Amino acid sequence: MSEYDAIVIGAGAAGGIVACVLAEAGRRVLLLERGRPYDYADIPRDHLRNHRLPLYGQGMGPDRQGNPRVIVEPDGTVRTLDSPHLGGYHNNAAGVGGGTRVYGAQAWRFLETDFRMASTYGVPQGSSLADWPIGYADLEPFYERAEWEIGCSGDGAANAFQGPRRRGYPMPPVVMNPGGAALKAGADRLGWNTFPVPLLINTAEYNGRPACARCNLCVGFACPSESKNGTHNTVIPRAVATENCTLVTRAMAERIDTDPRGNVTGVTYLTEEDGSIRRHTVRAKTVVASAGAIESARLLLNSASPIHPNGLGNANDLVGRNLQGHYYPTAHGFMPEPVNDNLGPGVSIATCQHSHGNPGVIGGAMLANDFIETPIFFWRSALPPGAPKWGQANKRWMRENYRRWVEVKGPVQEIPNPESRVTVDPSVRDRFGLPVARLSGTAHPETLRTAEYIREKAVEWLSAAGAENIWSREMTLRLSADQHQAGTCRMGRDPQTSVVDPWGRVHGHDNLFVVDGSIHVTNGGFNPVLTIMALAFRSGEHIARL
Amino acid sequence: MTADKALESILGHERAATLRAALDRMIPGDDYPSACGAGVDAYLARQLAGDLADKVDTYGAGLNGLNSDAEIRFGRDFAGLTPEQQDDVLETFQGGSGAQFVGMLAAHAAEGYYGDPGNCGNRDCAAWAMVGFDQRWTVGEGEADS
Repeated sequence: MSEYDAIVIGAGAAGGIVACVLAEAGRRVLLLERGRPYDYADIPRDHLRNHRLPLYGQGMGPDRQGNPRVIVEPDGTVRTLDSPHLGGYHNNAAGVGGGTRVYGAQAWRFLETDFRMASTYGVPQGSSLADWPIGYADLEPFYERAEWEIGCSGDGAANAFQGPRRRGYPMPPVVMNPGGAALKAGADRLGWNTFPVPLLINTAEYNGRPACARCNLCVGFACPSESKNGTHNTVIPRAVATENCTLVTRAMAERIDTDPRGNVTGVTYLTEEDGSIRRHTVRAKTVVASAGAIESARLLLNSASPIHPNGLGNANDLVGRNLQGHYYPTAHGFMPEPVNDNLGPGVSIATCQHSHGNPGVIGGAMLANDFIETPIFFWRSALPPGAPKWGQANKRWMRENYRRWVEVKGPVQEIPNPESRVTVDPSVRDRFGLPVARLSGTAHPETLRTAEYIREKAVEWLSAAGAENIWSREMTLRLSADQHQAGTCRMGRDPQTSVVDPWGRVHGHDNLFVVDGSIHVTNGGFNPVLTIMALAFRSGEHIARL
Repeated sequence: MTADKALESILGHERAATLRAALDRMIPGDDYPSACGAGVDAYLARQLAGDLADKVDTYGAGLNGLNSDAEIRFGRDFAGLTPEQQDDVLETFQGGSGAQFVGMLAAHAAEGYYGDPGNCGNRDCAAWAMVGFDQRWTVGEGEADS
């Protein structure tokens, strides 16, 4: 007999929601999280060690020791990265809540066209661009659930390009700040539709937690007033409160277990106790992998058996392919007067004017301003190329420009490349002895073309807003994943071209699901978390009906 | 251990003096403190014993390079030169074999100066007062002085 109805692996954006939906439906759930639970005080306000600027470490897991990854550079160089904070590791925060503990909380619905990229634009050579098997209308009720149950602020009527919505947001939008107001005036001059950025941040008391205190350390840090809504302070406590959900932290899934006929029977996970590793094998009727696009793929690949020699769901060599994230073309400008009012979050205005319909390129991106950043982040990212990096001139530049800085940037909808992929390394192991993720390939060249187009639009916006000394950095072809990682177990109806069905069920299995960014066919020209959450509510409800 | 002694024990007396002088050219003093005036030497002392331990040899070689250039051009060690002479040596070094070293020095100086005081630099949040960054949310009351 099964000990649990479901085991959910990963207590992040998706896993927390699936666990909650199942537990509230009366199912017995084991929620496994490899990271730790974090109180606010456990996540440092260190300007050199955070998820925005992880120069020497980061606030959450994975642990620095014993979690390497292997990266194959475009020129073929193979590097082993010993710590998750290092550039090129493509980390997403590990711990209860996952990335939602420290994210910026931008809460975007994809546009209707985002689900139909191949039929809208055709399939460029060398890409695996495809339509989603579901559309915006299928996801709309679940976007609404995410907005209301996690807690979202915004103006539901203001985005001229959004798909139909039944309901607005539960909280009003963040206050427009001076930088946003300048950009608003610029967009008006250009005839671009703009609107406040929707955020999973309380702008009024909601779910028993207060409105944002407007601190200036938002993205990359934990929230001092618990006004930033993640799964750690919403659905996971709800799941645990049902007494149907057992949350086990510092629990690393070793493998998804299958019986001799190849059917999924449960999960074996590992814990460290007094310096030794303990193995736990747990049976369940259903297993849900929600470990993120890199780690979910790694887990399926590490769960090979005689019946599934290439890993679960991988009979057609698709698991781990189409790894994608977001190119972020960014333009920097400096307003004649100070516009940084030190009041967070800071990101306040966006446009979807260039999400689609851009002549000569595929797709596009939402463009927005950005969060209040730390001075050292500013020094590292906003100093124009060729400007003095030291001396009185540099000090004066810092003094005169920090509060005049405005950024415009946007996440480019990437064109999937099957050669951008996660495999498992044949020799490098983690602290538990498990083969680690090996990342290889690059984004598709079409992504780069779109990114360059969007970069010009970012410059155009800043220029219309009256910014001076505008500059931006040219984009180059590289692997793209990071915290917006997606695509490695793509959704589809045909097992020859997809890993999971439209509900996230792995083809060829009755009771194995992947629910996280892995199943995105394309990743939208937006921060993907609200789509991950909507899919999790949808798949959770589906699994609860089984 | 004070920052001076910690740097000396890692780099030796002469190189520690060279480093402090070079840091103060990376971020000179004006109505706001210089790099070392804000504790950037203490920041580096801690980092060279921790996260940047693998850079101690790079520092040693770079600082020796600055001193030997100073001797060749001005007949004195780097720390003994005028600020203008020091800038001259740094710029020449940066234009030649020392490009990477000076770039690293500038980056580390900025980390210490503009980072949070918990990292031992940016004493009294002076750098944040200068650029206009609200310290409240990073340091609780009194923490800035510790």
